[in-house]
Amino acid sequence: MLELKRTLDAKGHGVLEMPSGTGKTISLLSLIVAYQKVFPLEVSKLIYCSRTVPEIEKVVEELRKLMEYYSKQTGESNNFLALALSSRKNLCIHPEVSSLRVGKEVDGKCHTLTASYIRAQRHSDPDLPVCRFYEDFDAVGRQMPLPAGVYNLDDLKDFGKRNGWCPYYLARYSLMHANIVVYSYHYLLDPKIADLVSKELTKKSVVVFDEAHNIDNVCIDSMSVNISRRTLDRCQTNVETLQNTIQKIKETDATKLKMEYRRLVEGLKEANVARETDVYLSNPVLPDEILQEAVPGTIRTAEHFVGFLKRFLEYLKSRLRVHHVVQESTPQFLKDIFDKVCIDRKPLRFCAERLRSLLRTLEIADIADFSAVTLISNFATLVSTYSQGIKTLLFSVSHFTLSPLDIYPRILDFRPVTMASFTMTLARTCLCPLIVGRGNDQVALSSKFETREDFAVIRNYGSLLQEMSAIVPDGIVAFFTSYMYMENIVAAWYEQGILENIQRNKLIFIETPDAAETSMALEKYQEACENGRGAILLSVARGKVSEGIDFVHHFGRAVIMFGVPYVYTQSRILKARLEYLRDQFQIRENDFLTFDAMRHAAQCVGRVIRGKTDYGLMIFADKRYARADKRGKLPRWIQEHISDGSLNLTVDEAVQLSKHFLRQMAQPFRQEDQLGLSLLTLEQLESEEMLKKISQIAHQT
Amino acid sequence: MDEEPERTKRWEGGYERTWEVLKEDESGSLKATVEEILFQSKRKRVTESHGQVRLGMMRHLHLVVDCSRSMEDQDLKPNRLTASLKLIETFVEEYFDQNPISQLGIITTKNKRAEKLTDLAGNPKKHIVALKKAVDTVCLGEPSLYNSLHLAIQTLKHMPGHTSREILVILSSLTTCDPANICELIKTLKSLKVRVSVIGLSAEVRVCTVLTRETGGSYHVILDESHFKELLMLHVKPPPASSSSECSLIRMGFPQHIIASLTDQEAKPSFSMSHLDSSSGADLSLGGYFCPQCHAKYTELPVECKVCGLTLVSAPHLARSFHHLFPLQAFTESPTEQLQKDRFCQACQGELKDKSIFSCPSCCSVFCVECDLFIHDSLHCCPCCIHNQSNP
Repeated sequence: MLELKRTLDAKGHGVLEMPSGTGKTISLLSLIVAYQKVFPLEVSKLIYCSRTVPEIEKVVEELRKLMEYYSKQTGESNNFLALALSSRKNLCIHPEVSSLRVGKEVDGKCHTLTASYIRAQRHSDPDLPVCRFYEDFDAVGRQMPLPAGVYNLDDLKDFGKRNGWCPYYLARYSLMHANIVVYSYHYLLDPKIADLVSKELTKKSVVVFDEAHNIDNVCIDSMSVNISRRTLDRCQTNVETLQNTIQKIKETDATKLKMEYRRLVEGLKEANVARETDVYLSNPVLPDEILQEAVPGTIRTAEHFVGFLKRFLEYLKSRLRVHHVVQESTPQFLKDIFDKVCIDRKPLRFCAERLRSLLRTLEIADIADFSAVTLISNFATLVSTYSQGIKTLLFSVSHFTLSPLDIYPRILDFRPVTMASFTMTLARTCLCPLIVGRGNDQVALSSKFETREDFAVIRNYGSLLQEMSAIVPDGIVAFFTSYMYMENIVAAWYEQGILENIQRNKLIFIETPDAAETSMALEKYQEACENGRGAILLSVARGKVSEGIDFVHHFGRAVIMFGVPYVYTQSRILKARLEYLRDQFQIRENDFLTFDAMRHAAQCVGRVIRGKTDYGLMIFADKRYARADKRGKLPRWIQEHISDGSLNLTVDEAVQLSKHFLRQMAQPFRQEDQLGLSLLTLEQLESEEMLKKISQIAHQT
Repeated sequence: MDEEPERTKRWEGGYERTWEVLKEDESGSLKATVEEILFQSKRKRVTESHGQVRLGMMRHLHLVVDCSRSMEDQDLKPNRLTASLKLIETFVEEYFDQNPISQLGIITTKNKRAEKLTDLAGNPKKHIVALKKAVDTVCLGEPSLYNSLHLAIQTLKHMPGHTSREILVILSSLTTCDPANICELIKTLKSLKVRVSVIGLSAEVRVCTVLTRETGGSYHVILDESHFKELLMLHVKPPPASSSSECSLIRMGFPQHIIASLTDQEAKPSFSMSHLDSSSGADLSLGGYFCPQCHAKYTELPVECKVCGLTLVSAPHLARSFHHLFPLQAFTESPTEQLQKDRFCQACQGELKDKSIFSCPSCCSVFCVECDLFIHDSLHCCPCCIHNQSNP
């Protein structure tokens, strides 16, 4: 809190790292809300970014509790407006549209019902289908602001249903005057969406990124474009339809196209107006100079633009025909494209904007069908706008990348005011990190490439899992470094009969790249933990399980990391990123790789401890973890508990230690035991001694 | 073992900083802290008593013993099975000593099945014989919590409502192999008011936590053998009865014990009724307890009459169960220095040398630690109070 206050005072950036289940959300919220109450002018808005919809819901629940407490203590209802925002898919209440499952379809359908020209058309032709929720909202909704309170997604929907207003547009509209906004990263980071949603957010807001270790990946996701053969094919058909529509329109309504042409000559002024006021926080994917210029003549008319797109498409196709991977920088790419198909850089830059304008003119409602061609034009714009950081063929804009905290700011390219890593105060040592470096036969355990296929290593890994399955109750989660590695090892275990032995103790579930299969496996895994059969979940360190799923209490009593989860170093994207990091920030490849691996290991292992009453074993099965450079990169709250005695253990020693730990942990543990240690009563908090201690800490730092 | 049961071997246990517990006093001697530690460990055994509550005096307890593969684990010496069976023996004896009008049955579970070792009965001997035999059983497969609980319910559900229905599970395995969903069974147990407690030999298993929480039992996991014994002994004391259990009057018979000598011509040797069904131990004897209703002869009490179904007990048995209802109040602890009178323990007449003394809240007599423990554990009444009552 102290660190946070300091950050707010200094109006700078801060990076805070806390173990899970220690109440980061609530402490952040309570301080920022208090700050907001005292200095309404300095901090006008809190933007809380989280990753998934369930997480967003959790944050809103915490916030609701906080607000209830506020009104209970102060006796007055406060006029805070807090709301959650998500995609149309989660917010739509239109009976037909909301029955669609896929996000893109919902968006497209919504668009066909609410786009401005559709509505304009409807004036002349009242039979066209229309979303009555949006109409109602548009008619009256804007005059009346959303009453103060805390709204989660369901509340918004209820509110929308009661008043017959579209919750999605209501939420988007309310963003402007809401005090607290909770939404997903993408709304702020992805330039394509941020433009729509977040541009009206003023500079005086506090932005919190929860689980920020994912931030670099989100950035990369949002800025990278994946082009495959199939997209190109679809693009081809899109372009053809475009051409046909243009033909048709030309015959019927030539004036429209002319008007568009004239507008384009005047430049993208209208876009400029929206961007003019500099106080907006937005991610300018279109640099300002573009806005000043007029759209170049070559693509001004619709036919020419379609022709231009075709040429560009052909070029991309020809490039994709190459079988080996070619890596080239942007200037190289641009030069090549100029040489081959005579496309200049400038028109490329305007590609996205031009396409949008064309689609508008052509009154094509269902944008979803044209996603492919939009993708290509976005790519064209991106590639020509940013001169550095893009590598071709598998393109990625390397922008940003968290646990040795100093590396984060370096990657993210900002200077933080405060940086702090907090540990938990625990009434008992509820986590037990063990580093198993050797098998019982003293063979070193490691997942490194040379020993990967070694039979002795695989056998020892097997015996580790087998022994653990006999002594750990309920659920064990085991992480492998990759799907491939997992497959190999499991196959080898099967041959050696280790799986059969494990299955006597616990059931085995395996995560696969298929989401449906995995969620099925997870469900069964939880059932097996629940009814006492016990289960092992074999999963992969960068998979879905490691990222978003918590293994509370009995669902995860132990987690085993087989090997160090290095990224696949031959990957193009990674190579591009490493190069970028080295050139721009002087971060050595190796540092980043280790950092990234340890970050993921910590992430996986952290899945089991979700609060102070929880306990769990953390087994790092690789001798490389014992090295100082790796160990030092684990979060402080784990590092603290690694004693010298738990480095480089054999399987047997680990089993002995775990047995002892599990028995200790199974002893009754009541809330009173925590009192005074990790939990303070009001009297204790107000006692002389405590106050002194607190002020001492405050002075020290 | 002649000494106290050994805790785990030093090299098996964790790394302890034993020296940090010790602190020197002003003269640099460690004696004070050592005594303190010893004293604390003695004191610990006096658990807090729960005042005046209704207790289920007539208990029906099913003991479920896990005999699965994991019982062969050697962390208890010589292995888990032998160690626990031995402790269960002492438990059974203690149980009947403290709860004479209660019954006990033993169920074993292994290889996904559950079978009865002994039926519910009030005679400790039969159980102990069965337990001694069970040492040689082969441990294999997985246990089945569902099957064993199901088997226990079959008999427990016929027990009258005024008695307590309990199941105590000694579970070594961390997994159970069940034929059906155990949650349903837990609901049945709850509706039948069966109290299930579990002692785990290895670690906390979720399903046991749920099971005990739902049925109002306790769940403990052992640390070592002496802790295991302590936990078992906790179950000797009758549990508080739920207020909803019905009250009823029970007919009981107090049979007369007739001792006949061999020289007495009128005495005719006869069989004890309790031995009729068992093939072994059918000895002819002269004397015995005779049911006041039907004159069937029994050699041992307490027992339910095979002929007329009357519960036969002896008066001392009832009296012994009685102390659970009126537990002796805990003595108040105070430092020795405060004592004005001569420093002698009222019970053993030894000099009070320890740091603190214990005084009975009703008669204010002073006792030393040892006597305090003895009074609370075995006597269940303050000797000075009794003394005052008899000579007013």
